[in-house]
Amino acid sequence: MGLVQRIIEAAGIPTVGISIVREYSEQVRPPRTVFLRWPFGHPLGEPDNRLQQRAVLLETFRQLYAIDVPGQIVDLPFRWRRENYADYVSPTLAELTPGAGRDQERD
Amino acid sequence: MNHNRLKNRLLAWLANRCAPLRRRFIAGYRPERYEGAIPWTPVAWPLAECRVALVTTAGVHHPGQPPFDMHDPDGDPSYRVLDGATILGDYRITHDYYDHRDADRDLNVVFPLQRLRELVAEGIVGGLARRHYSLMGHIVGRHLPTLLQESAPQIARALCDQRVDIVLLTPG
Repeated sequence: MGLVQRIIEAAGIPTVGISIVREYSEQVRPPRTVFLRWPFGHPLGEPDNRLQQRAVLLETFRQLYAIDVPGQIVDLPFRWRRENYADYVSPTLAELTPGAGRDQERD
Repeated sequence: MNHNRLKNRLLAWLANRCAPLRRRFIAGYRPERYEGAIPWTPVAWPLAECRVALVTTAGVHHPGQPPFDMHDPDGDPSYRVLDGATILGDYRITHDYYDHRDADRDLNVVFPLQRLRELVAEGIVGGLARRHYSLMGHIVGRHLPTLLQESAPQIARALCDQRVDIVLLTPG
């Protein structure tokens, strides 16, 4: 997956990948990666768990804008089932805007 | 189904239930390390103005498309174009290297198209590409050049042609 990601990014489209095997991402070094130590075949979580899947998606997009070092892997804080996804706080619109990382530094 | 496919499926099932087996499974497919510069394209626009496409290595395809080749131990370097308008209605997953029973039930587990549509409806994501792209992972040996020199560049070109702003990649 990471190899395809590198080629898409090189073609001029920003990319972010969800990884469930950190070792592979460390080897292939795609531009932006979020990592979850979750079972194979479940990068977004469990079937029919809308809130969990939505939280993973939004957190992935937050990192798409926050990562400013090529090759960075961000460990997402979600602990599979032991999480109350109804409490998840979505990123602000400012965090889903280019320059979000730099603004945080200034704060 | 031949002996090898059954073995791969059983190992994939066990890998989610037994930590030492998971580690062995991971070690068995460890890719080589890519040194040198990492490609980088800055994100230019707010997400609310971006067109997003999905690329998955979870082996998803339309029922009418040829399934991925599970008999070749080097994998299948081809790809399938997924029509965003119809894929959620009826789909197949051909992939022996992970347990996809949950993804068979809810595609969003590996290909979150429905969740993305909800984010578009909320105004958080600008829009979605009409076409998305699907491959299988575990491509090694003689098929790796085909992936790197043919399939992946073709997918990248098609994404550019669709004026996609952001690509999200998901594994199986």
